Amino acid sequence: MTTSLTKSTVRFLAALLALALLATACGDDDSGAADDGGGDGSEGASSITVYSGRDQDLIEPLLDAFTEETGIEVTARYEGSADLALLIQTEGDNSPADVFISQSPGALGLLAGEGRLAPLDSSLTGLVDDGFAASDDTWVGITGRVRVIVYNSELVDPADLPSSVLELTDPVYDGRVGVAPDNGSFQDFVTAMRSELGDDATREWLEGMAANNSPNYPKNSAIVEAVGRGEIPMGLVNHYYNLRALEADSSLPSVNHFLDSGDLGSLVIVTGGAVLESSDAKTEAEQLLAFLLSENAQATFAAETQEYPLLPGVAAPEGLPPLDGYATDTIELSALGEGLTGTIELIRESGLVQ
Amino acid sequence: MRPPVGLLFLAVLTGVVFLGPFAYVVSRNLDLGTDLGTIIWSADTWEPLRRSLWLGTSVAAASMVIGTGLAWLTIRTDLPGRRLLRVLSPLPLVFPSFVGATALIAAFATGGLVEEILSPIGIDDLPDMTGFRGAWVVLTLFTYPYVYLPVAARLASLSPSLEESARILGRSPWGVFRTVVLPQISGAIWAGALLVFLYTISDWGAVNLLRYDTLTRDIYSDRLFDQPRAMGLSLVLGVVALAVVGAERALHRRRQRIEVVRTRDALTVPLGRWKWPALLGVVVVLGNALVGPVAVFGFWAWRGLRADSDTIGLGTDLGELVEPAVHTAQAGLITAAIAVAVVLPVAWLTARYRSKVGGTANSMVVAGFALPGVVIALSIVFWAIDAPIIQRWYQTFPLLILAYVLHFGAQATRAAQVAVGAVPARLGDAAATLGAGRIRRLFTIELPLMTPGLLAGAGLVMLSTMKELPATKLLAPAGFETLATEIWSAGESGALAQGALASLALVAVSAVLTWAVVLRRLEHY
Repeated sequence: MTTSLTKSTVRFLAALLALALLATACGDDDSGAADDGGGDGSEGASSITVYSGRDQDLIEPLLDAFTEETGIEVTARYEGSADLALLIQTEGDNSPADVFISQSPGALGLLAGEGRLAPLDSSLTGLVDDGFAASDDTWVGITGRVRVIVYNSELVDPADLPSSVLELTDPVYDGRVGVAPDNGSFQDFVTAMRSELGDDATREWLEGMAANNSPNYPKNSAIVEAVGRGEIPMGLVNHYYNLRALEADSSLPSVNHFLDSGDLGSLVIVTGGAVLESSDAKTEAEQLLAFLLSENAQATFAAETQEYPLLPGVAAPEGLPPLDGYATDTIELSALGEGLTGTIELIRESGLVQ
Repeated sequence: MRPPVGLLFLAVLTGVVFLGPFAYVVSRNLDLGTDLGTIIWSADTWEPLRRSLWLGTSVAAASMVIGTGLAWLTIRTDLPGRRLLRVLSPLPLVFPSFVGATALIAAFATGGLVEEILSPIGIDDLPDMTGFRGAWVVLTLFTYPYVYLPVAARLASLSPSLEESARILGRSPWGVFRTVVLPQISGAIWAGALLVFLYTISDWGAVNLLRYDTLTRDIYSDRLFDQPRAMGLSLVLGVVALAVVGAERALHRRRQRIEVVRTRDALTVPLGRWKWPALLGVVVVLGNALVGPVAVFGFWAWRGLRADSDTIGLGTDLGELVEPAVHTAQAGLITAAIAVAVVLPVAWLTARYRSKVGGTANSMVVAGFALPGVVIALSIVFWAIDAPIIQRWYQTFPLLILAYVLHFGAQATRAAQVAVGAVPARLGDAAATLGAGRIRRLFTIELPLMTPGLLAGAGLVMLSTMKELPATKLLAPAGFETLATEIWSAGESGALAQGALASLALVAVSAVLTWAVVLRRLEHY
């Protein structure tokens, strides 16, 4: 037996472990300061914690600019909006988060319904048009995305494109329209359809899409990629995924088709921000939301992500139709959160999920 | 024989801690008033459950064949290039399954990379890689190392004497393998297959992207807006896992245990004319599991690096990966060491004694692996957020490590049980009669004999931790980025090139660590 080798193994592993622990101990210092943020909020906190369901690449530069302008340090945690909403829900009153930035109104609506969100100052929610903030002021929209049909220009004649999303149940679209039934934006869209047309008409539409064997994809970007490759001729997505894909590879044949304004298929889905009820730095948290709704930040969103700014007066991204046409006045976005449970059930029962 | 009280105490303690995630699921079901009856008797549950079990079984079966074959060929034969192949073989485990699935889709989808390469020579009818077939292929290619590592460790520590006798008595090499080698490594094979099964039924990344509707995919899509159903299904998944763990244990107990102490180097089997066909087989497996994905990532990174596009710069982007790479290595090494130390008492108890306590603790540890990552992470939040003292550690490194250990401890347990099985009880008894104390026996006799098995377990935990996402994202200290989180956020913002570069870095770091920590040591045994 080779005892000496074992000793050397143990020694080697112990050394590695010690090194790793040492590196961790050293690394702790820089995060330690930010850790106990939020906690000492009573006399004007100098730091807040943000849970962001939006990309780090996009949000981090804005947070840095905010810190530079206000001196308020920001600690950020990035993860999908759904998982962050679950985290906030599980953390309850002890949540370290002060601000929640969400990809979709659904996650905000859920937390609002459970009393986890603090009402915002009306000067903040007043910054955006009526439909783009919660009716109870628990969250405010930051940017907007329009639902579109993305199509492959080599496979589809633009003249054959529908003017309403309701036409897609027609047999001529059999197997041709990609959907992402698990995706938040699709679920938001279906929820809006329920509040607009009622559950029966929505079920009929979903069953029609299922009968048309609409190919399933896990998310918007996968649909855009599949359309770009020519795997499917068209799909239901948010407008900016295709714009990003074209930025990376301008030779792609994928094109956005904006449906008629006022059509359900061109629903505007907002990304939004909220302040947590459990936060003890609510003033600073609201300052951050106001910063994200400032002209500069809104222009950054338009330029970087091709999303629609919600602050009136800030120009829409280049080459996109103006947002006015896609008003959401009849659709109560804040009802989305509470309605989603029923929506998911409806989608499941329709057989759309393959 | 009655197990020592100290050992029982440690096992109970471990079992209680590992009970955390399961207890969270039960408690949530009670809080939400989940209508379990409706969920259990609904076809909406049975269908996805059937798919989960079918996928888990198929992937486990394929992994048993591939993992065992690769291990035998690279450890026990004169296969050309075997030293390099030993380093490469465990590496596919480090691909997060969503990354592997992405690479497969990019390669095989209509209009994808493979079609671009093959269509000029007239091949453009590629197999559809979505649904069951795609999930089966991806998960098999990226989980067979769960079988490979324990089996390789076992093969490396087998005594040559039995095989020599069989050879002298005229058995063919295949006959020797079947009648002598296979019975001695079957424990390790089953151990690995169980891990593959549990990993598969808990996986979301691959089944989601490849559109195979398993129970875990349902848990994920319901997790926010239909929490009673998500928690009910999680409970179903956990109970199924416990049943499978129990069944495997019952099966394992009835098998004869063979204890052999090695005195000389293991036999090397000459492959003769099978040398090149065998090599071809190994190359096909590794080509698909490792070289293929690496090539796809290399292509994406290269495309991003080309002069005419300025999406990434090699210097800046690689520089930004240094800190995440260090974090990844730290997390992997520390979790592996702690996981092995924590589960060793349970493994010892179950492998040595017929103890109900040991069996229960073992089930707790192993079943934790079947719950989806996000459930494990939320369970830690649930228990830690308002617990005195522990609360202070919330979203710090130690609690993150605890989450990793709870999730991946199972991988170390089964390997450790196989390792304990390699230690003949009579050696310890002999040493005891000669007056050697418990601690001395552990360090001079038992640990040296168990080292290959323990290292294999540590290697599995390390690789799994290095790719972990949900717990890292919810529980890591703010700003603690790993290579896996870098890949994820690159994917979220559509930065293909950056994601590819981070994936390549993950493969490189895991190759170095796997070699340094596991394989280099294994070779001496």
